[in-house]
Amino acid sequence: MVTKEEVLNIAKLSKLYLTSEELEDAFNEMKGIVKFVNQVNEMQNPDEEINHANELFNAFREDEIVPSFPREKILENVEGGKEGFFYLEKSQ
Amino acid sequence: MPKDNKGVIRRIHKLLLNKDVSCQELTKRYLEKINESNLNAYINTCEEVALESAAKVDKKISSGDEISLLEGIPMTLKDNISTSGIETTCGSKILKNYKPIYNATVWNDLKKVNSILLGKTNMDEFAMGSSCETSFIGGAKNPHDLGYVAGGSSGGVASAVAGNIAAYGLGSDTGGSVRQPSSFCGVVGLKPTYGAVSRYGLIAYASSLDQIGSIGKTVEDVSIVFDFISHYDDKDSTSHPGIKFDTQGNLKKDLKDLKIGVPNQYYEGIDKDVKENIISALKVYESMGAKIEYFDLPEIKYALPVYYILACAEASSNLARFDGVRYGYKASHYKNINEMICKTRSEGFGKEVKRRILLGNYVLSSGYYDAYYKKAQNLRGLIIKAFDEAFSRFDVLLTPTSPVTAFPENKSYNSPEEIYLADICTVPVNIAGVPAISVPCGFDSNKLPIGMQIIGKKFHESKILNAAHQFEVFTNYSYNKDLDMGVNL
Repeated sequence: MVTKEEVLNIAKLSKLYLTSEELEDAFNEMKGIVKFVNQVNEMQNPDEEINHANELFNAFREDEIVPSFPREKILENVEGGKEGFFYLEKSQ
Repeated sequence: MPKDNKGVIRRIHKLLLNKDVSCQELTKRYLEKINESNLNAYINTCEEVALESAAKVDKKISSGDEISLLEGIPMTLKDNISTSGIETTCGSKILKNYKPIYNATVWNDLKKVNSILLGKTNMDEFAMGSSCETSFIGGAKNPHDLGYVAGGSSGGVASAVAGNIAAYGLGSDTGGSVRQPSSFCGVVGLKPTYGAVSRYGLIAYASSLDQIGSIGKTVEDVSIVFDFISHYDDKDSTSHPGIKFDTQGNLKKDLKDLKIGVPNQYYEGIDKDVKENIISALKVYESMGAKIEYFDLPEIKYALPVYYILACAEASSNLARFDGVRYGYKASHYKNINEMICKTRSEGFGKEVKRRILLGNYVLSSGYYDAYYKKAQNLRGLIIKAFDEAFSRFDVLLTPTSPVTAFPENKSYNSPEEIYLADICTVPVNIAGVPAISVPCGFDSNKLPIGMQIIGKKFHESKILNAAHQFEVFTNYSYNKDLDMGVNL
């Protein structure tokens, strides 16, 4: 059974703020959704071998040096990139 | 009398070769139509890029150079496929104004042959939805009736193709996002085998389920595009080595002795009109020499809960990258880095996305991991085995694409689970990683299209496209009315 405290904790871990109204909605919805997905526990001993759509195989390749993206290109999508770096405010 | 089902791509190709219309003229007409359109199918258009490519194609034609089939064909990409220098929003406020610095492999391939990218099409936010309505610009409309949704999540592509404002398009399919909107809009949509098409540059929703697929007016269009975009790519470690398809060469094969399996469980709780039309389609196949057999596939009852556990778990991890630091939306007032990230995500993501992140982190959190995530992974194995077993007896499976036809806009629901039920016919395919196609097979009493789904064995796209093409040639359901482009296509 989902509790309101759990939803609040999950939101914190998900880095999402919820207003008290949003928390109430999320709590009520989560109760329903968790009940819905709990159908997976009706099955007692499911197969434990295959768990991926594609047969798993290691995808090795030669370790070749290829050109990387130029710094200025990578910083095109941020405001306030400083001297070729992402700029973040110091945590308080 | 079978009609001529020549696809849109071949018809436009011929027009260009015969110089009936120049590529630039054609592109301008498409762009004009997009601007006049009220389908809300596009998030952004890219006139400059489109006309630049069109000029290249015209130059090649006028100097007598050969052009390939996809060259100069005006098309569109779902807005979660990265296009260098062209805004790619995923239908989300959090990626508004984001311009990728590299191309997805599929767009790299298509750009090389001078495909005309008209613009980026509308979608449910981060591909999470079945109506296209969770998009930050509102949903795409259904060209058959503007009061109805186009379906989702690739609603924009399906709406644009059905509404004649793109010759074809690429969408992505995680739980039905190519097939369901194709079904709602009366067009053809293919979800390829997991690993057949490179996912490099597709902004991830659920990486073990996502696959890029083509949407077109006819099976032939979808087949041409699939043959071109499916190949090994060393930039995607789940891309399958050594694959090469020629599904086009197999379209005309007769269906004598084709073994079609009909899983009983797919026909429970299905809308009456949908069921009747699928049963008529089965009769058409029988008349073409195919053998029909009903059978049980009880494992699919777990498909929806398994899907929502796995897809949300993967989404919560994939979407952790949106933090306002490197790209996209960034909150403006904050005291420290944690507050900046939390505010950015809370303001940038829509309701459905937040809901799925919360569920994903819930099923992955300690104490619940074994009960939900691990259990779902094991059940996934069970579903894969059930499909393997079915394909040891049948060549293809035939089901409805969706239990219902397009629903009215802004329909209200009692709970999110009620909306999730719309995906019941499509999600098992993604869980099993097999290919499936949606093909129009009739209309309901409101004259809205109905789609049927043909499912195949892994890497047997040729077989499902063949079965779909033969049905299309035999019937008149494909939305194949003349293209109103001011030129005789």
